[in-house]
Amino acid sequence: MKELVEYIAKSLVDNPESVEVTEIPGRTAVIIELKVSPDDMGRIIGKDGRVANAIRVLLRVVAAREGKRVTLEII
Amino acid sequence: MSETRSVEITAPDIEEAIEAGLKQLDVSRENVIVEVLEEPARGILGLGSRFARVRLTTAARPLSEMVVTSAKKEAPPRPKKQQVYRPRIEDDDEEDFDFEDDDSYASPSVIPLDEAEWTDELKAGKETLEEILRLMEVDASVDVEATEHSKEENPTYVLHVQGDDLSSLIGRRGNTLAALQYITRLIASRNLQKRADFTVDVDGYKAKRIDRLHKMAHQMADQAAERNRIMKLKPMPAHERRIIHMALRHRSDVTTRSQGEGKFRRVTIIPQKD
Repeated sequence: MKELVEYIAKSLVDNPESVEVTEIPGRTAVIIELKVSPDDMGRIIGKDGRVANAIRVLLRVVAAREGKRVTLEII
Repeated sequence: MSETRSVEITAPDIEEAIEAGLKQLDVSRENVIVEVLEEPARGILGLGSRFARVRLTTAARPLSEMVVTSAKKEAPPRPKKQQVYRPRIEDDDEEDFDFEDDDSYASPSVIPLDEAEWTDELKAGKETLEEILRLMEVDASVDVEATEHSKEENPTYVLHVQGDDLSSLIGRRGNTLAALQYITRLIASRNLQKRADFTVDVDGYKAKRIDRLHKMAHQMADQAAERNRIMKLKPMPAHERRIIHMALRHRSDVTTRSQGEGKFRRVTIIPQKD
């Protein structure tokens, strides 16, 4: 999941070198923390959060296979 | 229109009261909310006995799927049988749409595209999509296809994901597929510095859905024109409304409009008189 978020984020931002993804695994849920440069926040969140939500939808598919919930936090 | 109607019925027992109410409203049991206002009581020797009283309210979205509004606004308080429109489909699940097979209404078919004909955006899109699928650990292949088209119309390019059991990639109402397409196009557009014009499909889901919407659009348009009535379709997301608008674009006997806000926005088919 980490690699997926990394790939998508790096492909969309202006400063791919500042993209940092941390995966915090839990028993029933996984938290993915995505850190991007403040200038790139808009690109990752998108209009009305569309980009962030689309990433969440894709993550959910992967997490569901492991029977887990997933949260994407953009910081 | 989705008016709720309601009746109160008094009868010796609850079941009888419900029966009578359903008859009055001319709806089936699944489409009403039943409230028992008063339980029946037997009393002693006829003394103190009480009838059951129930209130039936039609559900907010009557009989779902297709709702027809007549040109007349004034609805009689107690509609007689003939005045109640009976939609063909009673199930809210649109996947159960049962339209007759009629190929004249079919949408254009999709044909595979030779690698030599792939544009830069298709190559970029395919690469992006394959990478996303790999990272999602989904075992699938991506074919490049195009819709059959005439000279004046541009084809639609389709990146078609195929594999075993990809239902999770489609999601509820194609929600996951929509996200997959959105991200793929966003990345491809960014790499190319121009709008990437392709759609993504998974196991023919969209093709089937488009086909169904085409047929539905034309059948509803036929009804609108024949009966000179405005037909309202059920609320649909923007890309599905667009399919309806496009399907009926060339028809001179009807026009289409989208009405309503947000997720209640729906296509209205309006008969056009010469």
